[in-house]
Amino acid sequence: MTCQKFCVALLHWEFIYLTTALNLAYPITPWRFKLSCMPPNTTYDFLLPTGISKNTSNLNEHYEAVVKAKLNLSTTYFSNLSSKTTFYCCFWSKEDKNCSVHADNIDGKDFVSTVNSLVFQQIGANWNIQCWMKEDLKLFICYMESLFKNPFKTYDLKVHLLYVLPEVLEESPPVPQKSSFQIVQCNCSVHDSCECHVPVPTAKLNHTLLLYLKIKSGGINFQSPLMSVQPINVVKPDPPLDLHMEITDAGHLRISWSSPTLVPFQLQYQVKYSENSSINMRKADEIVSTTSLLIDSVLPGSSYEVQVRGKRLDGPGIWGDWSTPLIFTTQDVVYFPPKILTSVGSNVSFHCIYKSENKIVSSKKIVWWLNLAEKIPPRQYAVVGDRVSKVTFPHLNATKPRGKFTYDAVYCCNQQECHHRYAELYVIDVNINISCETDGYLTKMTCRWSANAIQSLMGSTLQLRYHRSSLYCSDVPSIHPMSEPKDCHLQRDGFYECIFQPIFLLSGYTMWIKINHSLGSLDSPPTCVVPDSVVKPLPPSSVKAEITVEIGLLKISWEKPVFPENNLKFQIRYGLNGKEVQWKMYEVYEAKSKSASVLVPDLCAVYAVQVRCRRLDGLGYWSNWSSPAYTVVMDIKVPTRGPEFWRIINEDTTKKERNVTLLWKPLMKNDSLCSVRKYVVKHHTSRNGTWSEDVGNHTKSTFLWTEQAHSVTVLAVNSIGASFVNFNLTLSWLMSKVNSVQSLSAYPLNSSCVLLSWTLLPSDYSLMYFVTEWKILNEDSEVKWLRIPPSVKKYYIHDHFIPIEKYQFSLYPVFMEGVGKPKIINSFPQDDIEKHQHDAGLYVIVPIIISSSILLLGTLLISHQRMKKLFWEDVPNPKNCSWAQGLNFQKPETFEHLFIKHTESVIFGPLLLEPETISEDISVDTSWKNKDEMVPATMVSVLLTTPDLEKGSVCTHDQHSSANFSELESTVIAREDENRRQPSVRYATLLGSSKSSEIDDEQGLINSSVSKCFSSKDSQPKGSFSNSSWEIETQAFFILSDQHPNIISPHLPFSEGLDELLKLEGNFPEENNGERSVYYLGVTAIKKRETGVFLTDQSQVLCPFPAHCLFTDIRILQDSCSHLVENNFNLETSGQKTFVSYMPQFQICSTQTQKIMENKMCDLTV
Amino acid sequence: MRCGPLCRFLWLWPYLSYVEAVPIRKVQDDTKTLIKTIVTRISDISHTQAVSSKQRVAGLDFIPGLHPVLSLSRMDQTLAIYQQILTSLHSRNVIQISNDLENLRDLLRLLASSKSCPLPRARGLESFESLGGVLEASLYSTEVVALSRLQTALQDMLGRLDLSPGC
Repeated sequence: MTCQKFCVALLHWEFIYLTTALNLAYPITPWRFKLSCMPPNTTYDFLLPTGISKNTSNLNEHYEAVVKAKLNLSTTYFSNLSSKTTFYCCFWSKEDKNCSVHADNIDGKDFVSTVNSLVFQQIGANWNIQCWMKEDLKLFICYMESLFKNPFKTYDLKVHLLYVLPEVLEESPPVPQKSSFQIVQCNCSVHDSCECHVPVPTAKLNHTLLLYLKIKSGGINFQSPLMSVQPINVVKPDPPLDLHMEITDAGHLRISWSSPTLVPFQLQYQVKYSENSSINMRKADEIVSTTSLLIDSVLPGSSYEVQVRGKRLDGPGIWGDWSTPLIFTTQDVVYFPPKILTSVGSNVSFHCIYKSENKIVSSKKIVWWLNLAEKIPPRQYAVVGDRVSKVTFPHLNATKPRGKFTYDAVYCCNQQECHHRYAELYVIDVNINISCETDGYLTKMTCRWSANAIQSLMGSTLQLRYHRSSLYCSDVPSIHPMSEPKDCHLQRDGFYECIFQPIFLLSGYTMWIKINHSLGSLDSPPTCVVPDSVVKPLPPSSVKAEITVEIGLLKISWEKPVFPENNLKFQIRYGLNGKEVQWKMYEVYEAKSKSASVLVPDLCAVYAVQVRCRRLDGLGYWSNWSSPAYTVVMDIKVPTRGPEFWRIINEDTTKKERNVTLLWKPLMKNDSLCSVRKYVVKHHTSRNGTWSEDVGNHTKSTFLWTEQAHSVTVLAVNSIGASFVNFNLTLSWLMSKVNSVQSLSAYPLNSSCVLLSWTLLPSDYSLMYFVTEWKILNEDSEVKWLRIPPSVKKYYIHDHFIPIEKYQFSLYPVFMEGVGKPKIINSFPQDDIEKHQHDAGLYVIVPIIISSSILLLGTLLISHQRMKKLFWEDVPNPKNCSWAQGLNFQKPETFEHLFIKHTESVIFGPLLLEPETISEDISVDTSWKNKDEMVPATMVSVLLTTPDLEKGSVCTHDQHSSANFSELESTVIAREDENRRQPSVRYATLLGSSKSSEIDDEQGLINSSVSKCFSSKDSQPKGSFSNSSWEIETQAFFILSDQHPNIISPHLPFSEGLDELLKLEGNFPEENNGERSVYYLGVTAIKKRETGVFLTDQSQVLCPFPAHCLFTDIRILQDSCSHLVENNFNLETSGQKTFVSYMPQFQICSTQTQKIMENKMCDLTV
Repeated sequence: MRCGPLCRFLWLWPYLSYVEAVPIRKVQDDTKTLIKTIVTRISDISHTQAVSSKQRVAGLDFIPGLHPVLSLSRMDQTLAIYQQILTSLHSRNVIQISNDLENLRDLLRLLASSKSCPLPRARGLESFESLGGVLEASLYSTEVVALSRLQTALQDMLGRLDLSPGC
């Protein structure tokens, strides 16, 4: 029985042994497991867990337990030990902490026992092991690291992995021989971790990989039990890619990622995230099968951290590594989306969550602003829950860039407070016009479009995409999902150009521009083009132009282009050839026509012609203009008329013959159509009949006129023929005496135009026309002529007339019967020309004359002042001047003698310098006022004499020699008696002085003299000086009456003052002829100066005298000049006249006194 | 058989929709114009003009002959073969003509649909692939003969289109 039991047990053992030997490889788990090894001779019985028998009788159960726990065990020997020390290694994991150990018995047979892993943890060597297949499914990796603190030395750690990949696809293949194992060395680091790589062919991913580890550490060898794994079951995905977070329109946080691309199976993902905010803190760990996770209720001012890893969704697998943590922080105001890129006309919405002072603002309190400048109307708001506000922008317009900002800033505000953060709205005008053109060969379509409208969107790329339909375009082109890109090239003009070649002529090309940007992509509105409808044909060829002979039309011919085959219309433009052609247009709508004729005004000009074409149905474009064709000038028709001609007759009176020369002007192109080959003169006389004379291209012809009447006609001949319409001229002896023109006048309008006017006499002859001739008189100049219609009465002759020449104008009436008698005038009024010219020059000359006069007057005044100083300033008193004594200044010759004498006395020095001393005594001051004008004093030189000095005198009846008056005076005299006009000396008066004892007598003399000269009612000069005026040494005054008695002229030199006085005399009103306004006053002691009045000589009327001016001064002079004697003033004036003083300066005064005198006298003018 | 009319309608629907959108008159005009255009294109290829029409070229029987094409379907079939040949020539001269033939066949189908003719898209020669050696060895001959015969065939079609060809 015992034997029987032993045999049974033996059989069991063998079975177990075989089982463990064949298929006891440790199956690698997707998670980490541990390798633990324990040295031999270690008593672990007491360590066996309770209930586990160490009796081999329990082996059967234990084996089953081992299989169940998928633990395996083998023996490990320390090779460096001399003794065969066995290290027992086993695998265990957290899930199963029991470790089955194989131990050798003496026979060298292994046996299996189950040991708690804690035994190994405490006394053995332990490693963490994890094996997986990489995502690329090409590399199997086992990673091991030392666990706990190994009791063995870990230096010089070397690990080898031995593996075998059987060809047989079995889950539990038989263990191959050791020699079939391949060995790879693992990479170990200093941290006691190693990584072993095993390449696995893709085809053997489902095969079972057998492997075990050999570890050498500190001179001790460890060998792991055999492991087995199917690589496909331990695939470890890479971390997910493109992990990012965004806030959805509903205010949720969306975590999204993309799956690893190499994984051949679907994955599940584990998302680990945490939320950290002032309001809430939470952590979550979720497993999802999609690539996104939605977290609701995102909070402003929060931080979110997320990690994701993946694992095979169906079947065994290993969790991949965690992705890099992604942190997403929300601001206090959260916009979602934060940026929008859209196109014009679209509607977009922004959402916002606003947190203010750690509180979420109610969505009802949120308002929206645009660019911080414009409050968005509340009607565009919407409330999405308690926290989310929404604003919608309908029908958006393109964003206008503001400086560098190419977007609109959308602000979410809490009532009056806006957060500084904003959302960005980019609205792009994507209405890009794509225009296409098919070439004339119908093989290429070029499309152009401009990107100017979207230049503001930086960072965008543009691409033309198209979809071709088989035929034609749909009514409403739309963007087709199946589209192709087309390469376009930017041109210099800023347009992109895309070329389709070859083309499908009748297919519809739907094109649009795709705008790609980081914020999204936009599509321009699609455009559909059929190449056949945008053809720009080639220009017509073989264009020719000519003026048709006899017809006289501009004929243009052309050849239509080869393509298109559609009916075409043509457009012709033509114009006179030149630098700038003024084009005229002509259109031909007949598709098959190849020529056209147009009427042109000038048949003899060169025309440039171009032709272009276009489809008759209006589709496509006009072709370019063809190359220009030009007409050739040639004779089109016979000349429209013969030349106008005229005759010149050279008469030989002796022979009674006349040589007649016909003159004509060469025909212009418009009349000759287009050239003249020759002229033919046709003659007709009654005696000789008709004959012709070919004169070639000459323009004149001479013949002898011998008969009474001779008719001539000049014909123009070109290559077509002779002119039909010609001018006739009949030369008739009888008619040449018929006078038909009554008068003829020529009025020069300017140097290029003369108006000819005439009147006609009634005549019985039929007038054909006039011919006018003109030529420069008295010169053998060319005779010019002109034909004038018979109906006009005046005619403008345009020629280059020379104003200084006289012209002869002739007007010939030409009758049917012959040329009539001409009317001839010799010249047009030359004076008129001059007058016109003078008129023209008047505006220039008059200002020059006026300016010259002013300049001359100024010069005279200056000269006068100079002369006055030179001559009269210090005229000495003759009494005190030795050279003046004995001279009679009343006689003109005295003056002459005076200066002669003086000149003789001074043998050197200029003449003008010497008379200074003389002039002192003969200067007279005078002043007057003529009406409102103050006439300045002038000087009349005493040297102005005439040959009739003794004869001429103002007082012609007076025997005393007295000065003649000025021209005015002479005029006055001449008015009364021409015989009296003997002007010689231009001054007349000298006031002399006499001895004091003779004052009274001399006064009477003076009065008498004055009376004689001026008091006469016949306007004779009334006053003259007495001979003794100098002897009495009395100052004398002329006082000129004026209408303004209170104004007295300033200092006036005597002689000139007298002259002016006389001038005034001549201008005095006639009604006071009896009371002359000029008076000579004898100067005596002023006895009545206290009264301030003067008694005139005749009227005996006391007139007020400006004593404050004059008499005071005289008294001063008297005081200062001992020679000055006060005189009584006998004033001879009328009651109406006022006084004008005339003060001589014949006194002996020092220069200083004289100056004082002058100054005081100046006051008289006040 | 029950679904026959429905399938026929569905088959014709895309073309019928075209017919509605495009007047048949325009389709006819475009067809004729396109035929003229292709004929002119062939004429413009210089080396086709120098070929004598009297000389017969042997070995190119796969190119449709000068038999009259009386129906639209036959026209489409003929054009499909020509298009197949021209496409295989890879010549710059004939690529555009090949595209034109594509359009012309579409137009013919449109015309056929306007007459309620079922015009399945012709496939060309099934044995064309086996002719690769012939084409490579006689590119010039093939091009010249094909274009010449195509020109004649198109002119024939142009005349028959005026006679309202049948399906």
